[in-house]
Amino acid sequence: MSNYEKVTEEIQEIASKLLKEDEVDKIIGFGKGLFSKEVTPIFVSREEDVNRLLFSPEAEMSLAKYLLNYKDQKVAIVAKPCDSRAIASYLSEDLIKRENVKIIGINGCPGIEDNTACQECDIRNPVIFDYTVGEEMSDEEIQAEIAGFKDEIEEMSPKEKMEYFRNEFERCTRCYACREACYVCYCEQCFTESNQPDWVGDSVKLNDNITYHLMRAMHMAGRCVNCGACEMACPEGIDVRALAAKMVRAADEIFDYKAGVDPEQKTLLSEYDVNDREKGFMD
Amino acid sequence: MSETQEFEPKIATFLCTWCSYAAADLAGSSRIQYPPNIRVMRVPCTGRMDPFLIIKAFNEGADGILVSGCHPGDCHFLDGNLYARRRFVMLNELLQYAGVEKERLNFTWCSASEGKRFAGVVEKAVNRVKKVGPWEGFDGQGFSREEGELVREQL
Repeated sequence: MSNYEKVTEEIQEIASKLLKEDEVDKIIGFGKGLFSKEVTPIFVSREEDVNRLLFSPEAEMSLAKYLLNYKDQKVAIVAKPCDSRAIASYLSEDLIKRENVKIIGINGCPGIEDNTACQECDIRNPVIFDYTVGEEMSDEEIQAEIAGFKDEIEEMSPKEKMEYFRNEFERCTRCYACREACYVCYCEQCFTESNQPDWVGDSVKLNDNITYHLMRAMHMAGRCVNCGACEMACPEGIDVRALAAKMVRAADEIFDYKAGVDPEQKTLLSEYDVNDREKGFMD
Repeated sequence: MSETQEFEPKIATFLCTWCSYAAADLAGSSRIQYPPNIRVMRVPCTGRMDPFLIIKAFNEGADGILVSGCHPGDCHFLDGNLYARRRFVMLNELLQYAGVEKERLNFTWCSASEGKRFAGVVEKAVNRVKKVGPWEGFDGQGFSREEGELVREQL
């Protein structure tokens, strides 16, 4: 699609301007990988290298997590709308400084190939940015993009749901690619490696696999931006996003809360409202 | 469990020490009868409860869970149960989505003076869990039903 090429050009233009004027030390962006269509994160610090930056339908990873490695440096980052939400979350959690980051936001994100998260994504323009590339998408266009989305798991009976997740997580090898790809998972020690308390066994057993994914989803509640990086990273093709995506929809439905739309907002579970709904409580 | 015996669920019960635990105490000292299926764990506040405790309880063979704390507004620590409330709503959604029957998940509030209500809550929770039958575990393998063998033997 020519859209991607145009965005690529605009990114390169802004990147070379930023480096020329010495506003940033480094630009975190997408670049060509080793194999034909593969895209990999690249870090550009010389002006002559900016033509290596690109945006394509395969730019699937979330780059926001790299910001945590360069907290004290001035960096620019190429951000899809979901990445911009991740950056807004980091800002709201005081993990990075706004003045150290220049955000090149991609307007009107056309979606990433094979990423099922894009089918239900209703934030297609960056929520926070210094520069934008591409054309903004209107609300009507966004609604048209997500019109076909339906959550099939929601309609199953408890038995079918359990069966579905057993079939999925049976294949999990606990490689933690989902965790490494996820912008929320920045804990220095993950609960799964903790042995006091020993929350969950870390060998590959079905009950422990499901427990691990449930616990991870619970950590995602109110923080996941539904970017789909976990699912894209999974080497077994497991529907890892399903549980976290449910948390995203539940937060929106019950508490009218969307993660990472405002750098000032608190995370869902770190505040309360005295009039919160008690959905699912005993009466 | 023999076929003739009725299924007696084991319900992992988390009670806030300031209200619900006192309610259980009151129920006991007022000689109010309630089913002996609950296994009580006393927590300083429902706000202290990591949702992981509940997920872990299911992984280790609890047929259901019951969580009870102070009524909203009456928390000993002012707002601990209000934080907990959001967490439990989200956890409830998550576990139901993953295929845990809603009857196994019991969240409620009981104040220290509600001994009678506490007995009623336990009875209701036990009946709800009995209705859906024994918990098979996340892997569907089931658990040993002998008393004292709640935790599955690790391979």
